[in-house]
Amino acid sequence: MQSPANDVRYLRITGPQTDKSEIQGDKRRMIESSMQLECKNMTFRYPGTDTSVFEDLSFHMAGPGFNALFGPSGVGKTSIARMLIGDLEDFSGQLQTRNIDRILYSYNLERLPGWSAVGKHLERITTPEQQAKREHLVDLFGMTPYIGSRFSQLSLGQKNRINLIRYLLQDFQMLIMDESLANVDELTREKIIFNIKALFPDKFFIYISHNIIEVSKFCRDILVLTGPGKKRATAVVRGQDQHAGQSLQQQHLETTMLEIMNAA
Amino acid sequence: MLHRRVYQFFIVFGLGLALLLCIKYALSLSNYVIPGPLEIWMTCREVTGRYFADVMDTMRVAIIGQVLSICMAGFIGIVGRQTTWLGSFVKVAAYNVQAYPIVALAPIIFILLGDGFISRLLIAAMICYFPLLLSVLGIMAEPVRDIEHFYRMTGRLRWQLEVKIRAFENIGKLTTVVAGSATLAMAGTIVAEFIAANAGIGYSIRIALYQSDLGKILVALFLIGISLSVYQGLLEWLGAIVRKAWENK
Repeated sequence: MQSPANDVRYLRITGPQTDKSEIQGDKRRMIESSMQLECKNMTFRYPGTDTSVFEDLSFHMAGPGFNALFGPSGVGKTSIARMLIGDLEDFSGQLQTRNIDRILYSYNLERLPGWSAVGKHLERITTPEQQAKREHLVDLFGMTPYIGSRFSQLSLGQKNRINLIRYLLQDFQMLIMDESLANVDELTREKIIFNIKALFPDKFFIYISHNIIEVSKFCRDILVLTGPGKKRATAVVRGQDQHAGQSLQQQHLETTMLEIMNAA
Repeated sequence: MLHRRVYQFFIVFGLGLALLLCIKYALSLSNYVIPGPLEIWMTCREVTGRYFADVMDTMRVAIIGQVLSICMAGFIGIVGRQTTWLGSFVKVAAYNVQAYPIVALAPIIFILLGDGFISRLLIAAMICYFPLLLSVLGIMAEPVRDIEHFYRMTGRLRWQLEVKIRAFENIGKLTTVVAGSATLAMAGTIVAEFIAANAGIGYSIRIALYQSDLGKILVALFLIGISLSVYQGLLEWLGAIVRKAWENK
């Protein structure tokens, strides 16, 4: 009998898949040009284990903007990220992206090489056209005083900020941020997320976090993953997707958080 | 670092000599079997100059052999780090070939190449090479995922950068391995000289053995040990300088 893990159907679609006769005009153009991430009936378990990380997982997210993967440790958030970048391929079901060609994945344990200062590393990975953008990001992320320091001399939060800056300087359409702002204080984190939203309005971000307030506040679609054995494996909750300058009603935020907690 | 190695050697050699003398006096052995302190001192005065030149000759061969081994192990280690067919082949071949005792091949080398410099060099390099290769292979084949991930994702991870990252992250291990391989190179050269060569301290030890002169052998061991300690200390010191320079560049 063929195991589900052998039935690999990893599909990356760059063109439209919708039946064109059904949808007309502006709406069709909008769908065709928008970024989509869709997962259908996906099941995955690590080789050599009997327990599935998730079973029959289906969800849909649309970009650009901030969307989130939320759930306790071990429910498969990082596994989904690794499937998206092609690191894990032994899964069954479909994982489709539309109008997203270049996906990057950053995580909070990454390090920069220790042989030169972080500023030098950033210079080397930046094209001449992006020098101004680099300086702007370094300034916005509050890293200007530390640009001459070695990576090992930075605090955990500073390390994560520098790491995120170098990803933001790359050519990408989707950036998966796996706890990329861990150990950064709340105010700075909020400022950084608002700035990313303002500076990269046409990019698709997948924000992986354990912080329920954060995902409720800043993200639009929040995929809530639950561990195996739960009755309902996943749910997509609509977040508040707050931008800089926008006020946020406490009641709405609490409703979102409650929905996430109910789904988890 | 250097002085630590030297005084450690003095302690070990002193303890060894004391044990030998204890055995001599405990078992009432004659000076012919184990010479007394005075005889050892006399032998020392007699042969130190000649033996020192022999040790330096051996060391010259050992150092050249070690440098050759480091270059070869570096090259093969870099090729073998790959997860390709060639990389796997090199790794398997290295693990299998190193299982064969090189000393057993020494007579063939002497028969084919004679008892001169080249034979000594080849045996020294081969004895030093395999342990060095296995260490370099182990270090180079182990990805530093937390650093390499970004470069891999963005298509910037060329082989030079990969090697640089892995070498930098394991510079301490590499320095230790290189310093440790000096002992192997020296041992390889001495073994070669002991088997069939016509020069070097190994050759002098062979003659002393034929003469059953333990005093000469003890002097030779002392000179080998002290020279090797100084050389290894220098290698460690150089390694520390390289590491410091790299980290503060």
